Amino acid sequence: MPKDAPVDPRGPRFSAWMTTVVLAVVLLTGWWRLLAAQTVLFAMCAFISLKLNPWGHVYRFAIQPRLTPTTEREEAAPLRFAQGVGFVFALIGTLGYATGLTTLGTVATALALVAALLNAALGLCLGCEMYLLLRRYAPALARPQSQ
Amino acid sequence: MTGVWALLGALAVAGAIGVLLKVREGRIYRRDSVDLPAPVRDLLAPGVTLVQLSTTFCAPCRHAKVVLSDLADRTDGLSHAELDVTNLPDVAAQLGVMRTPTTLALTADGVEVLRVGGVPKRDSLLAALQPHLP
Repeated sequence: MPKDAPVDPRGPRFSAWMTTVVLAVVLLTGWWRLLAAQTVLFAMCAFISLKLNPWGHVYRFAIQPRLTPTTEREEAAPLRFAQGVGFVFALIGTLGYATGLTTLGTVATALALVAALLNAALGLCLGCEMYLLLRRYAPALARPQSQ
Repeated sequence: MTGVWALLGALAVAGAIGVLLKVREGRIYRRDSVDLPAPVRDLLAPGVTLVQLSTTFCAPCRHAKVVLSDLADRTDGLSHAELDVTNLPDVAAQLGVMRTPTTLALTADGVEVLRVGGVPKRDSLLAALQPHLP
């Protein structure tokens, strides 16, 4: 898994707001193809590189030039881990909606939305702080990320 | 219609978690001392040592490190050490630590004075440590 350079922390916050909006639209419409696209996006960011995140490009070209520059940088590892957690919930949600298990789809999407919103509004990454808990009770989910 | 309720529910849950975590951030509490795992015992210095447990995936751990190392630099008899438990889940479990950063204040003999969940608040931590410092 290639390493990403540290990033301007406001980029991921913007990205988290966009993710929150996408997940809210999925909840309201049940449009599983949109959730499938979000799942692919989570997977690309978590397993390949954060640079593949289109919201990151929107941030760099449209928003960052309007903001005061900051020297603050955030490590990429927690961000990618968060994308991995998002991937798991979005995948379960997509499978739920696509196979007619709408309740499963709704619950998984709602949980992903909780995490995305906490990240966007407060900069909190639940999965990152609870990594030890995840590793203890869902080792298969946490371990591939730690390699 | 279910989707609307699910969305409202998610917003409410996120709000509740956010408030809960903000309130508990930097909370100081006490637990009975346990037998310290070797990687922790190796870090103990004379006086009180703040052993900060971190993981690679923990963004606030960096902030905690800045607060604690600065506090230790300015306080006699206090030192700071960071232990990355990403690949030491057994150490974390033995100490009963589920979230990072969690900081344990330990005496040179390995007695636990207190512990702090989340990014510590400098002043309240120093006040709580004061009776144990030279």
